[in-house]
Amino acid sequence: MVDQQTTLIAIAMMALIVYLTRMTGYFIGLQLRHIRGVQPVLEALPGCAFMAILAPAVRQGSASEIVAMACVILIMWRSNNVVFATGVGMAVLLFGGPWLDGS
Amino acid sequence: MSTWHSALLGIRSSGDYFLSTFMFGIMFGIAAAASGIENWQALLMSASVFTASGQFAALEFWQAPLPLGTIALSVFLVSTRNILLGMAMTHHFDGHSLGRRIVWLYMLNDPGVVTSFRQDESVDRLGYVTGYGLSMMTSWLGSTLIGLSTAQLFATFDLGAVDFAGPLVIATMMMLFFKGSKSPPIPWIVSGIVALVLFEIGTANYLILLGSVLAGMITAILQVRRTYG
Repeated sequence: MVDQQTTLIAIAMMALIVYLTRMTGYFIGLQLRHIRGVQPVLEALPGCAFMAILAPAVRQGSASEIVAMACVILIMWRSNNVVFATGVGMAVLLFGGPWLDGS
Repeated sequence: MSTWHSALLGIRSSGDYFLSTFMFGIMFGIAAAASGIENWQALLMSASVFTASGQFAALEFWQAPLPLGTIALSVFLVSTRNILLGMAMTHHFDGHSLGRRIVWLYMLNDPGVVTSFRQDESVDRLGYVTGYGLSMMTSWLGSTLIGLSTAQLFATFDLGAVDFAGPLVIATMMMLFFKGSKSPPIPWIVSGIVALVLFEIGTANYLILLGSVLAGMITAILQVRRTYG
């Protein structure tokens, strides 16, 4: 059991770290914004970060995870319906796993 | 559009991700209870830290003696994408005092930023993202509380099958970003390929993120240089 004081220190530390990451990027951007043509470069960054997370996750995913991801991408491509896409993906993970992964 | 109306638009637009955040919040509440964190401490964490990935990362190390350094590093590493989100909003938070921007950046959130790029030029982006963030915060806190309250019901339930829910939600954001962007997706494709190559050669996760974002950034710079001559 973690004592209360250490828990509060940990929570405060986590809050500070996350807040600083939220603020730092914006202020780095403010220092770069005078550079001609930098706006499209900065606006491409979140997509690059998402791809950096997604590509390895799919590569090491099981069959059900890959099928779930394919469903999500297909539904988003056709409809932009986040709830439906996520719901179908989750259903594939929960109910398709035993068949697709053979477990 | 005024900041207030843009914030309301952000709240109204957040329904989809309100629900997916709600699902993660319940899972976080259950996981927090299993880690032995008291309810008020888990709620304090959700209110002050306000990031699913960082909080789940911290829970993995939540046992006495608490390894503060390891927790700090892992929370920082999974939160580095916030730096990129902040950089992406550089040109979109103008027209507000520095103090307001500093305070409201606390509400910076992935779906708010991604969907803000799809909004009309007249929308105040800082108001929109903040309104979106308030909605996410409401969902996150409410669902954390429900997860904590119902944790005993799920004591024997295996949440392992939904570990992949995070990448699925990121995929929805990626698709919104992809379809809403006016520029070619080449930097993202390069990022994905570099991430795969780095993964295959056994690179650490934070280096995969760093390397692939850097590659995407260089590609975007080359694209811009070609456009501007």
